[in-house]
Amino acid sequence: MSKKEKKQNKANGWGTDVQLDIPEDEIWTFQVPGLAAPHVNKPYKYYNLKKAIFVIVIIVAVSLSMLFSVLALQNETFEYTELESGIQFSKFSNTGYLYELDIDYVSDIEYIAGNNDPATNFKVVKDTTKPITSVRQFTLNCDDKIKTINIGANVLDIDGKAFYSCWALQNIEVDENNPNYCDVDGVLYNKDKTEILCYPCDHDEYLRQKYGYEAELYRNDVTPEYERDIQTYVVPSSVKKIGEMCFNYANLRYIYLPEGLETIETLAVFKLHERVDQWGTTPSLANIYTYKATDVTDPHFTGRDALGEVYLSLPEGLKFIGSDAFSYNQNLEYVYIPSSVTNIGHHAFWDDCYKEDKQIKGVNVMNVAQSEEEFNTITVGDDWLPKYDYLLFKKDVDLKFSAQRQAMPTE
Amino acid sequence: MSDILNKVKDFGNEIKTHWNTPAEGKYVPYKEYKDVVIGVGANYTGTKTLEYIGFWSSCFLIMHHYKLPYLTFSVIGLLNMPLGYITALIWWYVCDNLGFLPKKQERKVYWVYGLMMLFGISTIAFDYSRLFDQSSWFITTLNSFEGMNATACFKTFGTHFLYSGWVGARNIFWRKKLIPKYGRYKYNLYCDVIPKCIMVILIGWLPVYNIADVSTRVWVANLLFATYNVFGFGNVLEECSKRISPNLQERILVRSYPVKLSHIFNSILAIILPAIVGMLRHEWADINFYRWVIPVTFCISAACTMGLAGRIKERIPQPPIEKKVQIKFWDGMLGVLKNKYLLINTVVGLIDSLGNGMLPFATILYFYTFRLSGLPYSLLVALISFAGTPPDLLSPYFLKRFSYKQIMIFYQLSRAIGNAIIAIAMWTLGDNLALCGTICVVVLFFMEMTKTVPTTAGHDMGVRIGDYQMYLSGERLESFAGIFGWFTGPITTFVGLIIPIFLLKYGFNSNWEILFFDGSRRNIVVVPIIVDAIGFFLMTIPYLFWDYDNRKQNLVMEVLKRRAEVTEKKAQEEGVSVAGGYKG
Repeated sequence: MSKKEKKQNKANGWGTDVQLDIPEDEIWTFQVPGLAAPHVNKPYKYYNLKKAIFVIVIIVAVSLSMLFSVLALQNETFEYTELESGIQFSKFSNTGYLYELDIDYVSDIEYIAGNNDPATNFKVVKDTTKPITSVRQFTLNCDDKIKTINIGANVLDIDGKAFYSCWALQNIEVDENNPNYCDVDGVLYNKDKTEILCYPCDHDEYLRQKYGYEAELYRNDVTPEYERDIQTYVVPSSVKKIGEMCFNYANLRYIYLPEGLETIETLAVFKLHERVDQWGTTPSLANIYTYKATDVTDPHFTGRDALGEVYLSLPEGLKFIGSDAFSYNQNLEYVYIPSSVTNIGHHAFWDDCYKEDKQIKGVNVMNVAQSEEEFNTITVGDDWLPKYDYLLFKKDVDLKFSAQRQAMPTE
Repeated sequence: MSDILNKVKDFGNEIKTHWNTPAEGKYVPYKEYKDVVIGVGANYTGTKTLEYIGFWSSCFLIMHHYKLPYLTFSVIGLLNMPLGYITALIWWYVCDNLGFLPKKQERKVYWVYGLMMLFGISTIAFDYSRLFDQSSWFITTLNSFEGMNATACFKTFGTHFLYSGWVGARNIFWRKKLIPKYGRYKYNLYCDVIPKCIMVILIGWLPVYNIADVSTRVWVANLLFATYNVFGFGNVLEECSKRISPNLQERILVRSYPVKLSHIFNSILAIILPAIVGMLRHEWADINFYRWVIPVTFCISAACTMGLAGRIKERIPQPPIEKKVQIKFWDGMLGVLKNKYLLINTVVGLIDSLGNGMLPFATILYFYTFRLSGLPYSLLVALISFAGTPPDLLSPYFLKRFSYKQIMIFYQLSRAIGNAIIAIAMWTLGDNLALCGTICVVVLFFMEMTKTVPTTAGHDMGVRIGDYQMYLSGERLESFAGIFGWFTGPITTFVGLIIPIFLLKYGFNSNWEILFFDGSRRNIVVVPIIVDAIGFFLMTIPYLFWDYDNRKQNLVMEVLKRRAEVTEKKAQEEGVSVAGGYKG
């Protein structure tokens, strides 16, 4: 051991050789210098007082903690924020029994005395002097009760993430006097229908009721009629932009896009799925088509004839594909990136393929209209290509430059 | 060269000679070393496998299938808090007496537990919330909790009664029956392993996650996981191996080699398991992970554990358990409150609670930023875990070179700086996944590297706190040290709500997929990390008051030795047995 180490050891006390000469009658009372005196087999001073203080402190601490925690966790059903531009609807917490939500005026819950049925013992009271003008992001977050949202005439701004993961939401109705928004058969659009904003998660239930289907059909039981009425959606020809998270979690197999579409936002067509049985779901989106007709307003698919010329995959003229725009759609068969695209976000087609029986299923090749040189000039995010299992790692699917668009399959 | 060969030969002969019978002065035959490697390895692997199952939001089963609101876990914690205080009292009383209570007391405790179970079952069978006015403040408040309603709150409350009563009654029953036969560390394997295997299988196969109504799903899931938690499968064989011999050198030898070697099974599994998951169609979201992979892995580990549990023995000299000294409740309580160093640790823990409710950053980084799966995920996790191994070998040097105070202050500062770097990287480079991710991984690597030595120091500080308590009160009072949790519990419960409420505001609820959204991920991850970093920085302050140095420890040990000497001498003079005493 070097001198320096010895010195250091001594300084830290490791090498200290201490010896104490403690008389036998002082073993329980001997106080080490710098430490508190031992307290062994001796009664405590103010024993009962200390016990009482202890119990009181604990009871008060637990009670206060419970009270403050309850206050922090307690949610008002409706929460609003006053902004310069008006009143913003900022948070909604379901009572557990609200299935329809009006977003028009500041509202509150009023309980009906004497009624002990929690499903009917309240009513929503509106203050018509206080119109709601905007809806904050995540105002509804993972609500599983609300089926219908009615948007009033004064609501001028709805955040793209305002109705996030509303699992039971079937339709959104907008007052026809609203200057900025409208709905097309329960789907939210901006007023001039250049942007589709929210296709409700459970819109298929609304469509089933509308077209007379009694129950949801599982994947293997789906009939061509059901597929046409419930699982196919035609985006009107006026639409230029699909908003963020617009179609996420929808039960759709086919989406028809207009040729004038320019932007597909972040997570716009994310994780579309259908029930495989009562226990589980499976990816549903099988194909995207583009149509050329310019006068389509009805989102209900009645046949390709009404849509003019139709071709497979993304529309010519499309410029922007947001991050995760088409993620987790393993049932998707074919993707063609048109030459007009200038931006592809990260993970845009993530998990769109998988390996089964040594075969790559889903999007197993990415077709790009541009040549490699042209493609290198556009903006692409990390891992935008789908990957499949390769040995114990993941490998990008093949990227085919200067590809020709695949011909349409017969209807 | 021949020297080395001779040594190897001698070592081989030594093992052969003492394979079945230990050498003189030793207690453990080499055959038991082999049993430790396999038995502890299997037990440790089993416990690590069970870490994939839990009633917390970041468990993949909850994350991908149950989809329970994040704040609901705070609500359940709040509902369970008051009962926790009462059950802790009975629990300490029973455990400190190893389950051997006077007959009359035992009957009383059984009654209490029985009534708790009855009440619990009745709340599950009937909806007590209907006894109250449905428009009252009480019921409407319960209805307003995230993911809950009054019915679910009552049933969750009742489930905790059922759970506490059931666990408590089993605790007395099985301790009494099995401790005399199997010892105090591994006895519960014998009564718990079969029901645990059944519950592991049921957790994967029961489609409780398909219940459409979230509040019903919450209380049923809580009941399912509470039942699962009734049966334990802890790392008990390793605990047992720590007491494998009264010979201190032999004990250290077992802990240093066979036990460390046994962990290799888990290290291998930690690489294989994610690789298998990577081959499933929906990876971590694939329910087959919980239906097949986890149950098969666990059942094999459990079977190996049980096969070898009987061969690993406890050999600590101790008086007959029936003669154990009884500790007066209030003396224990007031005794631990005098321990300044326990108080310092408590304050540190209290400040640490600032980060409570934070999402596991590494999980978000691996799954939502990098989208890792399969072997690349395993290898990255293994690489970061390995970062702690080289400094571990240098622990003795660092512990000698620096004081515990310096080490702990360095540790908290390194965490604060590491978190700050991660926060800056995520805030400024959020969209550049490769660069941002690489910075985060490098920082995690260094944080893991700087963790090992302080962890060892922390363990030793805990032992020293016990020695100091023994000097203060004549007993280590380890159970009663939990009393500090009684004071901190109410504060940490409330403080622990800050981050979850914040996360809810930025869209994080029961659907983790919001983390795919760059803007939300940034807010959800960065702000809690900053709060945590501030917490780490503040945690350096209590350690400034840590003045329990090696000199004081040596003096305390001198006092304890002197007490043992004098007590033993007096006992011999009185003709009383001194078995189990240790004079150092």
